[in-house]
This record gives sequence, C-alpha cells and structure tokens, in this order.
Amino acid sequence: MNGQPNVLEKIIAFVDERVGLKTLQAKMLNEPVPGGSRWAYVFGSVLLFIFIMQAVTGILLMFYYVPSADHAYASTQYIIHEVDYGWFLLSYHFWGSSAMVVMVFAHMSQVFLWGAYKKPREMIWLVGLALFGLVMAFGFTGYLLPWDQRAYWATTVGVEIMDKTPIVGDFIARFLKGGPTPGQMTLSRFFVIHVMILPAALMGLAGLHLFFFRKAGPAGPFRGSSEELKAKTDYFFPRQVWKDMVAMAAVFLTICSLAFIEPVVLLEEATPDPGDYHPEPEWYFLFLFQMLRLKIFAGEFGQFLAGVAIPNAFLLLLAALPFIDRNPERNIFKRPIALVGWLIVMIGILVFTMSAIINREFLD
Amino acid sequence: MQPKLKSKVRCTDREVGEVTKVILDPLSREVSHIIVGGNGGPGRQVPMAQVQAVTDDTVQLRAASGDLERFPLLKRDEYVTTKEVEIAHLEDHLHVEPGEVLVPLPELERDVKRRTFFTNFTHAIGALMVMPLAFPVLRYLMKPMYAPFDNRWLRIGNASRIKTEDVGVQFKYKKKVKEAFMPEAEVDKNVWVLKASPAVLEAVYKGKDMDFKDHAGHVVWTNKRDVPYVAYSGKCPHLGCGYKWRNVPKLGRQIFLCPCHLSIYDASGTVLDGPAPRPLDPVPIRVAASGDIEIIDIEYKAGTKAQIRIV
Repeated sequence: MNGQPNVLEKIIAFVDERVGLKTLQAKMLNEPVPGGSRWAYVFGSVLLFIFIMQAVTGILLMFYYVPSADHAYASTQYIIHEVDYGWFLLSYHFWGSSAMVVMVFAHMSQVFLWGAYKKPREMIWLVGLALFGLVMAFGFTGYLLPWDQRAYWATTVGVEIMDKTPIVGDFIARFLKGGPTPGQMTLSRFFVIHVMILPAALMGLAGLHLFFFRKAGPAGPFRGSSEELKAKTDYFFPRQVWKDMVAMAAVFLTICSLAFIEPVVLLEEATPDPGDYHPEPEWYFLFLFQMLRLKIFAGEFGQFLAGVAIPNAFLLLLAALPFIDRNPERNIFKRPIALVGWLIVMIGILVFTMSAIINREFLD
Repeated sequence: MQPKLKSKVRCTDREVGEVTKVILDPLSREVSHIIVGGNGGPGRQVPMAQVQAVTDDTVQLRAASGDLERFPLLKRDEYVTTKEVEIAHLEDHLHVEPGEVLVPLPELERDVKRRTFFTNFTHAIGALMVMPLAFPVLRYLMKPMYAPFDNRWLRIGNASRIKTEDVGVQFKYKKKVKEAFMPEAEVDKNVWVLKASPAVLEAVYKGKDMDFKDHAGHVVWTNKRDVPYVAYSGKCPHLGCGYKWRNVPKLGRQIFLCPCHLSIYDASGTVLDGPAPRPLDPVPIRVAASGDIEIIDIEYKAGTKAQIRIV
C-alpha cells in the first residue's frame, strides 16, 4: 500500500487496458437481482459447476480409457483397480451424472413453478429444453462406455426404443449402433458423441442460455410490488454468488460422499448373452422402462406410444408452453393447471420409478 | 420523453443550471432522478415527480429556484455507471444522450447493390462447399450400417442335454464376429432349444414348414414341421433383452419370462402376457444323427409385429 503497484497489479492493468477486464468483471458481477438473492436461484450455477467437474473428470478418465470393444472393459477395470484414485474419479463422474439429472429437474421445476419461462424469457426456456435433452443424451451415451453388461443392455433396449420412431427409426437405430446389432461401431459412435459432440453442443447452448438470460434479465419472485422488489434488490455478487457457492460445495460434498460410499463396480464384460443379469437402465430412465412394461403399451403401436410418442409429445408441450400459456400471471398459486400438471408429472415419475424398483424383488 | 443530458433546467422563476447526470431505476429501467448542477458542485438530486415538462433541450421543474436547496446533494459513491452493471435491454430504454454520434460510412460501402451481391455470393460459396461434402460424409458415416446377413451354420451343443419334452434348455455358444477394422473376436450368444411335443410343434408351425430367407429373398433353410427340435433366438421380440425359462409357482407352470419388460411366453413361444408384439422367433435348426445341434444365428428386429430380419 505504498502507492507503487506490484507486479500482479501491473499485469492486471496491462490486460485491463487492452481488453477492458474490469468493466467486463463489473458487468458480470453487477447484475441486479429483483427482490434480492435467493436459495431458489442456485440451480443454474450448480449445473454449470457440475458440468465443469464432469468435463474435468471425463478428460482425466480418457487418459486411461480405450474406446474399443476388446479394451473398453479392461481399461475401465484398470482405472478402477490399478490407477491411483481412479476409482474415485470414475465414481465422481458416475455420481456427477446423476447429480446433473437431479439438478436439471430442480432447475426446470423452479423455472416452471416461478413462471419464469413466460414473456420475455421464452428463448431461455427453449434453449434450456435443448440442454435438458443434451443432459439425457450424455447419460445415455456415457452409460455404454464401460462396456459391461449393464452398459450393453441399457443401450440395446434404448436404441430399440428409438427404432420405434416412424419412418426414420430404423435409420436412426442403425446409425447409432453402426450396424444391425450393438458392437464396436456402437461403442465408437457413442464415445465420439459423448466426449466431442455433446460437450461442444452443451457449451454452445449453455453459453446461449446465459446470453439470453442476461439479455432478458432475471425474472425475480412472483410476488411483491415493484417498490418491495426494488427495496430488496441486490447484485448477483456477492449475496447470490455466496448462496451459489454454498450450494456448489454441498453438491460437491454429496457427490464425493456417494463416490466413497458407493463406488462404481462393473458387472461382467458386455456380451449378447445376458447371463443372470436383469437388464435395467439408469434410475432416471426407470420410469420410462416401467411404462413400457404396462399392458396398454403392448404391441408395436403401444411401444411407439410409450417409447416415442408420449415422451416427445411431452417435450413438445414443454416447448410450446410459453406460447400456449400467455397469461402474464406468474404466481404458481394462481395457476392451478400448471401446479396440478407439475404434481401429476412428478408423482407419475415417482410412482413408475418406485414400481420398477419393487418389480426387481419379484424378478429375483 | 426522457430528460436529455446537458439540457437547461428551469425552475418556476428562473434557469438554475443543467442536467449533469441522470439516475436510472434498475428494475423499471426508467429515469428516476435528474442531477441539476451548474457551478461544479456535486449537484442536486431531483426526482422525476418534480419535473413538469421535458423538451429537447430544457427541463421544467415544478419548484421555485429557492426551493432547490431542499433536494439532497448527489452522493456519487452510492452509484455505479451503466458501463459497470448489466441491465437487460438498457439501450432500448435509455434515451438521454442529446443528438447522435456518427461514424462515416466508407466511400466504397455506399453501393447497396454490391453489398447484397456479396451477401448472396458468400452464401452461394458456402453452399458450394457444403454440397459436395454432404453425400460423402453421409456415406462415410453409413458404412457399417447395413451388413449382409450371415447364413453360416453354428454348432451349439448336443441334444442329449435335453431330457424332458417341452422344457426350454439354454444353449450358449460363441460366435466369431469381424467388425470393421477390428481383429476377429468371439461374442457369447445363446438360443433356447426345445424338444417339442406334437401339440407344441403344432402351435409353433401351425401345420406349415417354416422358410428362412437371405437378403435377396431366396430360401436358405426350411424348418420341417415334424422335426421335434425347435430353437428360439435368445433375443426377446419385445425390445431385445435376454429372456429365461422359469418355473412360476403362481402360474403352476414353466414359462419363458423376459426380465426387462415382463413379457411371458409358453413353450411354443406364444405370448401369454406382457407387452411383446409377436411370439418368440424360431431360428433354422438341424440335428445330426449324433445329436449335434446346429443353428443359423438369425436375428429379427425387436418390437415389430412382423419378423424383419437384421442379422
């Protein structure tokens, strides 16, 4: 503090002079949050954090992982059993993907219940839905990579479901599998999709999501007069950043704990003979899996209905939501259809997931 | 109309200075106060409610000049500039700069026709580069998608393993596969073989021999309806999982059960319950005098009512 700038300050000043660093930083941190910071707003930041951690752990896994049918399983086992802390990084990556799905559900629910998808935020909502699709695709493609029985069968059934899409289904299924049945080509394709295409798409769309978000500004709470909101308004930094940080730390600790308590254990190596294994997808696809067991979704048309038509119709409905629901009212307690709809979807997913879990015992 | 910076400020009795700064409400994005200054001080902070009229270069206040002292002095530390804060659609809402800042259009850029031409030209060049690539890229990615059918006979074991009629017995076998650039590898596969009673045989074949065809539609093998051995592809016709022969005490009988989506089939492969769209798929089978069983490893697309061969 003797008035002479130190080296670091000189470097910062040098960069600032050329790129306007301080203005940029100010712009990023000084964003008024109407009605003030809240715990309900942490999900977006937490998702960004989880994604960055998935990218970091994913890159580390690629140092040892070999995406070939004769080495994928062995190299994954090597990561788990031989490489120092390999079990931890792999398990973190595994549980991180589950955390991502949980947080996506939380984030979407918050935006839905707060009515934050309404004008002028329709574009953010649409890009968000595309991001939701990417997260599910990440889960689906990543699942195959260890090349164990779980991986093989989840992919087999998952791709067969896509096959049920009218007209293009057969092409899509063969395109993804790289042939008539899952094998090396499937692994290669899923690997490229998982580590190159999806991350690039996600980074692009997440950037767009944030850009649109900053363009439209935060929606704020759905209650309160403009005077009340103004009185409570603060900037993104420091209070919201602090809440985001606490949430990130909590999620980080949860994922670490899960990785310690339930580290990833592989089943037998993948092969078209399932042996004693009862195929089952990851928990966040269980409700869909259970739906396909229902008698009403039997037969060719039934499968199309449960596997393709209903999920896609639901996504389309979500995409159309801000254009159907033009009422500016954002208070969820004054939007009975929205509230009941959300409850039905959540309870539906819960019931189907639970019955899939109960069915396990019946099978053993 | 928003008050412009540098506008003259008039009270009811006389001119008191000019608008040196404006203060913006970050939520409504409206001007909430103007700062009236004139002689170098921080200036007085006057709420917009006190403004009676705004023209291009003057702001008329409701107060008399003597009352101006009642308004607080601006505390600059309590504010940031719009450059340091992110407010959505700020430019659309804020019109306080007098006049416009202009940058000359270069001489060469004034010909609008040429601009349009260049825009179209850029798109055309782009399309010309993409078009010849689209088909090769598609073919490149499609290379392994449509493999020819494999009609080899594979030895899977001996019929002496089957002791009882109408009971599913799993035969596991290794199949050599050669995928793209990979060295030849062996994968585990399985079929369920049944020594069928005449009743079950009738339910499977319905009185007709069963033909199996290759790509071109030529018959490669016919399962005779009087041969008692039936082999079912190990792949569930619902969504392709592996099913099992199980004793279900509740039903009081043995059945084929797929653990994935709970399709149930009887010994003849007929769907008893669950979502499966068609019966189990018999594959070509021949049994030598020694009891050795050979099959052709045929697979059909799962989930369709009709059998569509894919392997």
